[in-house]
Amino acid sequence: MKILNTLKNLVAVLALFGMIGMSTIAQAHEGDCPYCKLKLVQNTKEQDNEVVLKTGNKRIEYRCLYCVFKDQKRYKGDLVVYAPSEKVGEPVVLKRTDGKWTAPEGTLFLNTFKKHADCAALSRAFTTKAAFDAYVKKHTVTDAKALTLAEFIEAVAKPAN
Amino acid sequence: MIAITILGLSLFSTLSPAQDVRDVAKQTSLPSLPKDMPSWIESTGADHLFYKAAPYNWSINRIPKFARDMYATGVGHAMAYEALVRGQAPTLETKTFDSINWVLNHAPRLPVDEGAISPTFMRRYGYLEKVFDWAHLLHFQTIDTFSYPGWTDEQKEAEIERLWAFYSSQPYAITGLPMNMDYLDSFLYSGKFRTDYPKVNGLFWGYHWLQTVNYDMLYRVPVRDHAPQYEVLGERYHETELYKTDRDFMPMTAEMSPRFARRFPQIANAFDNLHMLHDNVNDILAQPSLSESQKQEQVKIAIYRVLASSHKDEKPGEGAENTLHDHRHPPSMPGMGWMKGSEEDIMWMSGMGWMDMSECSHCSISMPEGNPWGATVSAEGWTMMVRCLMCARDMAGETPGRAIIRASTNDPNRLLVLISDEEGNWTTNIKEVVFLEKFGEHPECSGWSRAFTTIGALERYVAANPEFKDTKPLKLAEWAALNHGTPDTYRKIDKPNPYKSGGGVPPPVSKGGRT
Repeated sequence: MKILNTLKNLVAVLALFGMIGMSTIAQAHEGDCPYCKLKLVQNTKEQDNEVVLKTGNKRIEYRCLYCVFKDQKRYKGDLVVYAPSEKVGEPVVLKRTDGKWTAPEGTLFLNTFKKHADCAALSRAFTTKAAFDAYVKKHTVTDAKALTLAEFIEAVAKPAN
Repeated sequence: MIAITILGLSLFSTLSPAQDVRDVAKQTSLPSLPKDMPSWIESTGADHLFYKAAPYNWSINRIPKFARDMYATGVGHAMAYEALVRGQAPTLETKTFDSINWVLNHAPRLPVDEGAISPTFMRRYGYLEKVFDWAHLLHFQTIDTFSYPGWTDEQKEAEIERLWAFYSSQPYAITGLPMNMDYLDSFLYSGKFRTDYPKVNGLFWGYHWLQTVNYDMLYRVPVRDHAPQYEVLGERYHETELYKTDRDFMPMTAEMSPRFARRFPQIANAFDNLHMLHDNVNDILAQPSLSESQKQEQVKIAIYRVLASSHKDEKPGEGAENTLHDHRHPPSMPGMGWMKGSEEDIMWMSGMGWMDMSECSHCSISMPEGNPWGATVSAEGWTMMVRCLMCARDMAGETPGRAIIRASTNDPNRLLVLISDEEGNWTTNIKEVVFLEKFGEHPECSGWSRAFTTIGALERYVAANPEFKDTKPLKLAEWAALNHGTPDTYRKIDKPNPYKSGGGVPPPVSKGGRT
């Protein structure tokens, strides 16, 4: 067992060195979404996907914005959510302060998935209408409607059919 | 370099030599009575055994909420068994569930004699109650020992060993050997109760969660730090664990209290075997196709399977695979039997997925040699072992809800207990605690991320390890505000859930709020 552990450590060090060499490739948490229990979707060079919720010292990753808003009741304090936008490395920052959500002016939301397997791709934030339209066109999203923050919150609050 | 990484990770995932990954096939006929059934099982006498006389008895009452919750578990079991043997199974999920639930939320202040609640069950299955009672008594006396303020940790550990010997000396004792749980759950009737009565089964498995999660709360933890932890665990028990109907398998002692299970593997195994006997009995009693005499016979056989006398002179790690005498265990966890789909130290943990018990749950690096645990993290109903304080903090920090960290310090007799609120703000049981954290490579994290009981102790460590001479000691609030996220070395074991044919847990039903 000791030999096995030593070998594992050696391999882990090799793996770590390898990953340091890969530092340009975004690293992501390989866990599951606390809400939908599906795997978190990792960032890519072309598109950010990680949704990060911060509350106090906690930093919790979700699969999509819908999952964050559905799960928000469990958090009593203020929240900051870093939602992937159309720009890599430039998330849309949403805030819940004293229970009230705010978003940067002009932020629009897509929320049109039928099953959670698609939620990361179809529940997202955009900084402009042009960015929203470009994303919808690129991914041939049908029935896409650009939602304001209030409309997005209302849509999420609706019970599942 | 990428190739090295891929090679490294692929080697990493195959280094554990796969043992027997076959599952145990469900049996197609009922087992028959063995010839060497112990004679006491036919005795109709009560043969009631009582506590070993000791100064610590009833110390559980020092944690009043916990004590009452523990007393209530016995009431719930008794109510359900009485309903089952009196032909009231059709109302088990409604009327009986409601009655049990009321008791759980209005728990008794004293232990209740189960015979007064389940007289019919006691008349028919008195021999079973002897086994249950004796093992439940071990539960309570081990808890009492840990809760007793008058002894040192060493004295308590010695007494726990004596309690095990005291327990084992009686014919009703359940074996402390690891048992193949997949085998014990492979009978014709297996799974019947959890399938037909998921809510009541959820309560029973919730009890097993409580009865096993408490040991790491108590073991080598100063008694004044027990109740604050139970504020977190008790809330979790009442709000979530009792009402879960989606567990894949009953909670195992080593999952809930890994430190205790490593130190006292025989007791951990005995509790798991006891809980498996409960499951077998539930399934037998819930099987309408069995006659009363068949139920009596199958309950006796189920008892026989887990009795210490049925496994005399057998040893942990030995025995024919996938049989009654299969006593394999994960190499790094002697306090747990072989589970469905297990490979060496890798097992499926309900709610967590595949975990490797020989590794840090946060950075996937092997646990340090010679220091079997750096810390444990309890959150969301699970308890996981990690290599260092940073792994503990960051793992708790990426998990919703309150959390408990139990961590080793420079002083082997002083365990650090940290409890966080929903926002990751920590309180500590050691006011002067100070942290060293010089972020580096994870294979050495147990060296550069540590807790010290005093600044003097940290300075002595730094003097002996000059690479840390420029590292600023961190107070609790400074340390708590750090977060390095998920380490690059973390690997998720990606295999299907062995308890579900399709694999995976279905996501919540929703349509994305689509209009």
